[in-house]
Amino acid sequence: MIRFALSKLAGLLVVMLVVSFVTFAVFYLLPSDPAQMSCGRPCTPENLAIAREFMGFGKPWYLQYFDFLGGIFGGRTFGTGATAIHCGAPCFGYSFQQNAPVAELIVDRLPVTFSIAGGAAVAWLLLGVSTGVLSALKRGTLLDRAAMTGALAGVSAPTYLVGLLGILLFGFTLDAVPVHGYVPFAESPVDWAWHLVLPWLVLAFVHAAIYTRLTRGQMIETLGEDYIRTARAKGLGERAVVGKHALRNVLLPVVTLFGIDLGGLLGGAVITERVFGMPGLGALMMEAVGQLDLPLLLGCTLFSAFLIVAANAAVDLLYGFLDPRARLT
Amino acid sequence: MKESTVKRTVSVLAAIGLTVSLAACGANKKDTAAAPSKSAAKQGGTLYILPDAQKQSFDPAKSQGLAITSLALVHRRLTTWDVQEGKPTTVVPDLATDTGRASDGGKTWTFTLKANVKFSDGTPITSADVKHGVERSFAPAFSGGLGYHKTLLEGGPDFRGPFEGKNLSSVETPDPKTIVFRLSRPYGDWPWVASNPAFSPVPKGKGAEANYGENPAASGPYQVAKYQPGVEMRLKRNTHWSKETDKIRGGLPDEVVFQLGQQASVTSKRLIEDNGDDRFAFGASFVSPAQLAQIQGNPGAKSRLVTSKTGAVAYLAINTQRIKDPKVRQAFQYAVDKTTYQVATAGSPALAGDIATTLITQGINGRQQYDLYPAPPVGDPAKAKALLAEAGQAGGLDNLNLVVSTSNNFPEKAQAIQAALARANIKVTIKTLDGEAYTAATTGPNADYDLALSSWQPDFPSPNANLQPLFSSSEIGKGGYNISRYSNPEVDKLITEAQSTVDPNEAGKKWAAIDKLILQDSPVVPLIYTRNSFLRGSKVADFFIADFPAYPNYLKAGISQ
Repeated sequence: MIRFALSKLAGLLVVMLVVSFVTFAVFYLLPSDPAQMSCGRPCTPENLAIAREFMGFGKPWYLQYFDFLGGIFGGRTFGTGATAIHCGAPCFGYSFQQNAPVAELIVDRLPVTFSIAGGAAVAWLLLGVSTGVLSALKRGTLLDRAAMTGALAGVSAPTYLVGLLGILLFGFTLDAVPVHGYVPFAESPVDWAWHLVLPWLVLAFVHAAIYTRLTRGQMIETLGEDYIRTARAKGLGERAVVGKHALRNVLLPVVTLFGIDLGGLLGGAVITERVFGMPGLGALMMEAVGQLDLPLLLGCTLFSAFLIVAANAAVDLLYGFLDPRARLT
Repeated sequence: MKESTVKRTVSVLAAIGLTVSLAACGANKKDTAAAPSKSAAKQGGTLYILPDAQKQSFDPAKSQGLAITSLALVHRRLTTWDVQEGKPTTVVPDLATDTGRASDGGKTWTFTLKANVKFSDGTPITSADVKHGVERSFAPAFSGGLGYHKTLLEGGPDFRGPFEGKNLSSVETPDPKTIVFRLSRPYGDWPWVASNPAFSPVPKGKGAEANYGENPAASGPYQVAKYQPGVEMRLKRNTHWSKETDKIRGGLPDEVVFQLGQQASVTSKRLIEDNGDDRFAFGASFVSPAQLAQIQGNPGAKSRLVTSKTGAVAYLAINTQRIKDPKVRQAFQYAVDKTTYQVATAGSPALAGDIATTLITQGINGRQQYDLYPAPPVGDPAKAKALLAEAGQAGGLDNLNLVVSTSNNFPEKAQAIQAALARANIKVTIKTLDGEAYTAATTGPNADYDLALSSWQPDFPSPNANLQPLFSSSEIGKGGYNISRYSNPEVDKLITEAQSTVDPNEAGKKWAAIDKLILQDSPVVPLIYTRNSFLRGSKVADFFIADFPAYPNYLKAGISQ
């Protein structure tokens, strides 16, 4: 177990390093200058040079990369004197557009994104797996066909479209849910949930579709296995056959997919947050892209990568519980 | 999972669905107003502003904001703009008693502060605070704002702000009410420059912190009450603001709330629906062409749509370093079809804006209407072909590339231009670039394009701000906006001369002459003066757009009772 954890940690560090390096390199391949956003107007070459120097963009990109890595362990200071900006270790960069250390900005946005992703994940997992199981058990019936048609719609529809249609129907036409904004859980748990119902349902609709199709396919295949026939021959009830023997096998690929999906979503539900006016990580990332905010973009990308790697590690652990053959020693 | 569990799960989900349906009773405060308010704004209430940006800052040094929008709710400047419908915008005193007194042939400008002007903590605003605000804008940590003053003030290019123990000696404060600016050359538009955000006072010695803009010392009618990035910026009254000293700001609502970070299309939909608090709101972003079309069929929303009479001049820039023959460039003036450009812009000529024939935009003092290349709105391809033939290009032009940004449906507009030019045998390939890449490609040192689509709204309403940034040779390839790479020593000389002219009327005549002179060389084809449309809620009153700028005046807007 310790060996497993260590190997996962090492893998995580390597992935982080590669992601940060690639993000840096890609950003510098673009024909644009992040200091331009802080240059002002008119942007004279002198003003641009001043902005570049202050922000640390005056050096070659590989030296900036080492500065970034150094900041994680020793912190960084930008500028001098009374206006100097200090970013304490571990410093994952400083956003000059947002006037705050990147890590602080990400931590501030976490509750919003985690609220969206957590609720949506529960909803899509319950909806997707249960519909998939029912479809498989009632194969060929009207219920199955309706569920598959719904799933096809969910798979095909972009989140953007579903979000806007959701707002139009439930927000404006039915006036059932708020169409924008976020209320912190600590302020009012009821309002928190009320503002999140629609984003949860939208994400659940889009994501559950894949789980429905996956669960259905796996369940049909599993129900045709010899060991299921054996279980039935032994006189086990249908509930035990499906719930205890078949579902366990079906859940293996579902858990894998769930880990990746949830990890990705925790890194920022970009479109959903934008459509619903939720100040989460995804919205922060969108702003970073729009404003050429390299430090923030890098921080968000690294954090997303971290979540995906961590989610995969969690899935590996969970595998052991679902399938004893894969248990870690 | 047992079958009973499956059933329970389905039941729970059904319950959620049912709850949502049953709760369909006013989640968005659907108490709708009947008709849009036509009455004047009254004192009191909460005004909501809906920008799509996720953050809001009131740092004057870092701002490029207009004198009539967000920043001016919190900060006053030495001078400001008097914007009225149907009249050219003029410069008027704000904190100062007048718009500045020139001496030394326009190289020295003196301002006197009004009596009884105070910060939000009750401290009197002195000339030292204005000087500190101006000096602060030179600090590398606070760059990013409008910086026309930085190269004009003596010693400005070498100054790095007041936080390193130095001061800018060309800004003098002989007494607490007087401030004197010494410039490196005569500059007639200094009163306009003094209306830029950096000329807002910052208490001397304060403002070193990076997030100063989140809760600055206010001099305008409002101060920050609460700020949540991505959620809202809430302003409350600055009780030390005196309406007696400020004729430009209404200061009517008790509170102003910026609801941050929602997508423009959803904001437009909220304003079309006009429910609850949205009745007291207006959108800070342009209404998109798609939403404009939708609003045309909705009389209620249409009556709340406010469209500017004019706006930024949209133009086709011709790279004069690659297309060197003026006669060939003049052919473009006739080849374009301005009507299809209007349709591509906003669906109809009426919503898009008037056809442009001059470089100085409407609503600016000194502008003279003229048309050097008279042609029907759809263009005159035959005349264009004739000019090309005269220039030895009877077969037309091949393989020209037209760069455009992906923003503001420029790709569709480029297609309209491409089709129009093809009628005159000018074959164009469109190259679409992301916003930043487009800026880098057009303002950088290497000009790998023949044509570019762009638009320009001056930073302040003077012909100077229209022409100098786009046509002075100093603005080529070093981050400046002379994207037609136009270089004419005579024009450069005349620009410097006009900038030095202190008398606005005399300067206006000079700028009008420069406007014509530039267009004779045809470095750009003016297309339209682009209109902007904004939506307001039914209870928002005194919400208007003057001739310049093509943005609503936030300072007079209020709530009707």
